Amino acid sequence: MIKVTYVAHDGTETVIEAEEGTSVMQAAVSNDVEGIVGECGGSMMCATCHCYVDEAWEAKTGARSDDEDEMLEGAASEVTERSRLSCQIKLDPSLDGLVVHLPEEQL
Amino acid sequence: MALAPLDEAITLDQLSSDPYPIYRRLRAESPVLRVASTGRTLLTKAALTKAVKDNPELFSSDDPKTPMKPAFRAHTLMRKDGKEHFVERKAISKALTPKRIKADWGPLYAQLSEEYIARLPRGETVDLFTDLCGPLAARILAHILGIPEASDEQMMRWSQLLIDGAGNFGWKPEPFAASDAANDEMDALFAELEPIRRAEPDGSAYALMLTAEDPIPMSQIHANIKIAIGGGINEPRDALATILYGLLTNPDQLAEVRAQDAWDKAFEEGIRWVAPIQASSRLVTEDTELGGFEIPKGDTVMTIQASANRDEELYEDGESFFVFRDKNPHQAFGNGPHHCAGAHVARRTVGKIILPMLFDRFPDMTLPNPDEVVWKGFGFRGPINLPVVLN
Ligand code: HEM
Ligand code: HEM
Ligand code: FES
Repeated sequence: MIKVTYVAHDGTETVIEAEEGTSVMQAAVSNDVEGIVGECGGSMMCATCHCYVDEAWEAKTGARSDDEDEMLEGAASEVTERSRLSCQIKLDPSLDGLVVHLPEEQL
Repeated sequence: MALAPLDEAITLDQLSSDPYPIYRRLRAESPVLRVASTGRTLLTKAALTKAVKDNPELFSSDDPKTPMKPAFRAHTLMRKDGKEHFVERKAISKALTPKRIKADWGPLYAQLSEEYIARLPRGETVDLFTDLCGPLAARILAHILGIPEASDEQMMRWSQLLIDGAGNFGWKPEPFAASDAANDEMDALFAELEPIRRAEPDGSAYALMLTAEDPIPMSQIHANIKIAIGGGINEPRDALATILYGLLTNPDQLAEVRAQDAWDKAFEEGIRWVAPIQASSRLVTEDTELGGFEIPKGDTVMTIQASANRDEELYEDGESFFVFRDKNPHQAFGNGPHHCAGAHVARRTVGKIILPMLFDRFPDMTLPNPDEVVWKGFGFRGPINLPVVLN
């Protein structure tokens, strides 16, 4: 199992244990973490799974793809260097302990 | 493993006039059921409908047997899968993102809504369904799509003819003749407007698709706009009418929505309670299994999101309109890659702009005879009239 911490916009932290191979979005949705919607089920069609990867983890989660970049442009909250679509971050053991921050709004 | 049970009793009439008691029974007794009158396998539990929509490889939208292709004279994105779908979907999605809707279009929507609401007479009985919901949805959509030169009447008529054609499962010639005529009108207008949208791109869907770096073919640009016309008027109209019905027949909830400014919650609950698009079809590409039954390749399954939205496993008293639910993971906008491209548009215009404005202008609006409201539809559903008194 891989530990992931979601830090809500108001600072509330939710820590969950997720299975390897699931995405940061799926893990949030199946554990009822508020602040990630993920309406399109990870098809990169909705931009409602926007998150900011914690500075300490930036290098490990890798870069965004061009398609991801384009979809992110439309996200409801501010997009920064650390913005990712959480459905595009797959959990593997190197991400054990990952911390992501959630935007103010997704819709 | 056995095939799903076959039902020969349920009629299309029953599904159109009063489907909810049937779906409730099916969720309890037969969540996977072949229904003879529809020629399809109906799925009525939320876990099943979501699983199907999230798995486009196994459950394809690319079904050549639907009347959608002749109606739109094109193979549209709604009926494509994979990369081909992604490319076309991305082309139109750019005009419909939360950011664009909020920042670029918000002020225009507010102005249009204000204009249309201001025209309504005070103190009289008005059918909001025909006098507000339809025309306003049409006007807003015309702007987003980049064809504001089209009249409300044209937008609504085209939309209905496309839908009638796409729903022409009896393959009669008349609906296709009518959708052909509408296609001719639309193609002519789009062609006339093309140089203007190219010369002065206005951020509309048409302009964005025309001026994209690597544009999709012209035929698909037209098809995309038509899909949005077909899908972007009736649903917001039905949604608005449903929400108004829910609020006006539950005055205590209306008061609370007002107090908390919870119009967005009212929107989500309205489309959960009576999903404007109640069902979608998917073609099965390989022999598989659902809910313990064998589902053969070539079968068409129908996800009944209307039923998923009232599933006892997710909702307490899902049959009732109740705005202040703890959680509302409804499937009214679908799931997976075909998740509604217009969801943000609909949320913002109906939930954030129209509803609060309407109740601000007519704070004592009433629906004197809720029993007069007629609900109809199997594929699409909503009230077909809404006689309210505006005050
Ligand atoms: C409350 C209003 C609305 C509801 C409930 C709704 C519902 C849906 C649903 C359930 C689907 C998926 C169909 C499937 O899975 O086969 C869909 C697709 C679609 N909707 Fe909506 N819709 C609404 C408003 C709009 C608006 C305003 C627009 C246009 C601006 C729009 C454009 C589309 C498009 C283009 C698709 C096809 C997406 C694709 O296949 O990738 N919808 N809608
Ligand atoms: C054997 C009978 C029928 C079946 C199995 C059937 C099935 C469906 C399905 C699955 C959809 C969902 C849209 C999609 O995802 O493609 C749909 C849409 C629709 N149906 Fe039917 N239908 C039947 C008969 C009828 C009849 C008799 C009418 C009207 C007189 C009708 C009107 C419509 C309309 C207007 C739509 C919307 C089309 C769209 O834009 O997607 N259907 N139907
Ligand atoms: S879940 Fe829709 S883009 Fe990530």
